[in-house]
Formats: sequence, structure tokens, C-alpha cells
Amino acid sequence: MRSPNNGPSSLQIALMLASGLILLFLATGDAGAAGPKIPRLANGKPDFSGIWQTTSAADYDLEPHSNRKDAPPGAGIVEGHYLPYLPAALEQKKKNFAARDTLDPALKGYTLGVPRGIYYPEPFQIFQRKQDLTLVHQFGHSVRTIHTDETDHPKDPYDWWLGDSRAHWEGDTLVVDVKHFNDKTWFDRAGNYHSDALHVVEKWAFIDPNTVEYKATVEDPKVFSKPWNLSVILHRHREKDFQLIEDYRFTLDYDDAYPPKPNKP
Amino acid sequence: MNTKGKLVSGIVVGGLLSLTAPPAHAHHAFSAEFDAEQPIELKGVVTKLELVNPHSWLYLDVKQTDGSAKNWGFEFGAPFSLKQKGITKASLPVGSEVTIQGYRAKNGKDFGYAVTTVLSDGRSVKTGGAQDAPGAQANGQAQ
Repeated sequence: MRSPNNGPSSLQIALMLASGLILLFLATGDAGAAGPKIPRLANGKPDFSGIWQTTSAADYDLEPHSNRKDAPPGAGIVEGHYLPYLPAALEQKKKNFAARDTLDPALKGYTLGVPRGIYYPEPFQIFQRKQDLTLVHQFGHSVRTIHTDETDHPKDPYDWWLGDSRAHWEGDTLVVDVKHFNDKTWFDRAGNYHSDALHVVEKWAFIDPNTVEYKATVEDPKVFSKPWNLSVILHRHREKDFQLIEDYRFTLDYDDAYPPKPNKP
Repeated sequence: MNTKGKLVSGIVVGGLLSLTAPPAHAHHAFSAEFDAEQPIELKGVVTKLELVNPHSWLYLDVKQTDGSAKNWGFEFGAPFSLKQKGITKASLPVGSEVTIQGYRAKNGKDFGYAVTTVLSDGRSVKTGGAQDAPGAQANGQAQ
């Protein structure tokens, strides 16, 4: 008599094989259908509308780092792991790092900039139309427009906190050219920084209907010896009734002073 | 930006601002940072123009009596208000000579508020944007 523990019967093996084949079929079918299943605008372009957030520890430090008092550990999100600083810029970065508790622009409530706003650990919302995407960040309630109307950067630019964003589609990937920044933002809490010559090229693409891969190529000839790449995964917030709540926690100390009271000395 | 978007706008003082000036002008009061009792006039060479909201900044090297240069920063109005007055990056290129009439910062550092800027082509432009800043008539006091 066969013991039940002696191993699978031929019937069981057949069943396992069959279910395996079914799973394989389902998986393949899924992959084939992934493209059409992502949300799309009426014009067929991917629709990134929704509330997104990364789970990465990138904002603490883009580069690999162990835990420290003000940051959980992180493997970093930079291709090649470390930023290719020019020698003088590396010295500045070290100074920034040493004084990050007071110098980090985010702690002053400054607009986060690009790409920091994307991987800052707070949600942001995208509203999308054929001609543009509007990104609203919970932190500081800053608003960024990405133009998809085939217009080019302006000829008489300002030094914007979020740069000037002009995009085009490469298949289902949104490619955004961003420049004309000021030099008042950082890439992270660890003092990684840039000059006003910053130029960012972003690539946004769906992995599945609720997950987006965000990649950015960063160049800044005043600070880095060559362009470098980063990438993070963005997850869609699907909690019931989830919404942005504006976050001005770093300016709470000034609440009494705003709006200004003209008769107050 | 870092202030709440509930700032009072639309109060135009002394005709310094146009009606389309963005509320960013009210980001902070002139009197919070600058001293109306300390007018200043400086001539220098532009080292940087930041067309940044809510306030633009112009930095210039000012020649000292010992021949060295000291870098001063002057607060301007918002980029859009400057654009309406014809000021863009091209108006104040690095290396050009300008004269600034304005007021010193209360903290005594090398900063000030620019009421009037005389460009290298001789054009005189009102570059300040604060609603409570002393008007153009105060320029006569500038030394």
C-alpha cells in the first residue's frame, strides 16, 4: 500500500503540470495585455492622472548610505551609485552634508525642485490633459506644469524653482526636458546639490496600471564631470478617499507673521 | 513657495505696482528686512542676476577704496513685474556696470533693497516691488 507521504501520484503530477501551464498562460496573457490596460487619454497617450509616491529612501540620500541619526539606510537610486562631482563641487557637497540640519532647503520650506519633488516622501498628484500635465506637490503645495503641446523652452527665461518643462512622447514614454532652474534647491537631505546650469531629462513610463517607473538624467557642467542617471518606482495611492493635504510644517513658526498685519510694528 | 497662498494682493501703493502684479510681491514686507533710514547708492559690476520668485536678486562687485571688490546683493521685484518694465536676463548681463539706489538691510550685511537701477545703457528702471517700500521720491536722499 502506498503511503500518502511517499510522493505525488501520477495524477497529482498531471494536475500540477496542468495548473502550471494555466498559470504560465495567464501570466503571458497578462503581460501581453499590460500595454492596452494602462490608463489612457482620449488621444491614446498614457494617462498619469492620480496620486503618486515613492517608497524609496532616496530623499535622505541619493547615494548608498547606512543608517544615521537623521536617515534610515538606503541602497541609493543612482546608476553607478555615486555622483560624478567635480573636485571643488565635492568639497561643497561635503560642507552641505555637514551642515544639512540648517542648510537643507526643504527644512526652510523651499520648493523642492526637480527631481527631488518626485521622490520626496510625500504624495503628489498629477492632472493630465492632452496639452499638459499639472503636478501638485503636497509639500509646500508647489505646482509644476509639464507642457505636451510641442512648444519649446521660452527665449527669455526666469530662474525657476521647478525649471521649465517641455515634453514629448516616445511610444508610451513621456520624455520631459527641464531647464532654467535657480541654484537654491538640493537633490536630497544629504547635501547633494546643483547650480543654475542644471538640466534634467525625465522619462515617465507605466510598469502596470498602478506603478510608474521614473527615470532622470541629470547634467550640470558647473558641478558634475558627466551626466548621471537615477530611477525610482512610483506607486499609485489607492486608499479610499485619499487626498493631498497641504504641508507647510516648516513655516509654522511664521504663522503669526502672515498674512502681514500693516499696523503691527 | 514657502508662504501660504492666502496673502492679500491687489493693494497697489504709490503706483509702483501694476494691477497684474502677482501676490508674491507681498511675500514679505520691505520693513521686515530693510531700513528706510539707511539709503544707499552703489555703482558696481554685475556678477549674477537671479530672476527668482517671489523676489529677484542682483549681485554686483563694488570696488572698495583699497582696490578690492566686495559683492553686494540687492533685492528686486518679482520676475514678471521686471519683465513688464523690460528687464530680462539680457538687460543685466554679467560684467555690465550698473548703479543702484536703494536701502540697506537691517542686519548690516552686504545686502540691500533696490528702488531704482540705472542700467549700463543709461536707462533708469524702478526695480523694487515691495508694497511698503519708500517711493521713488526717497531716491534724492540716497548718497
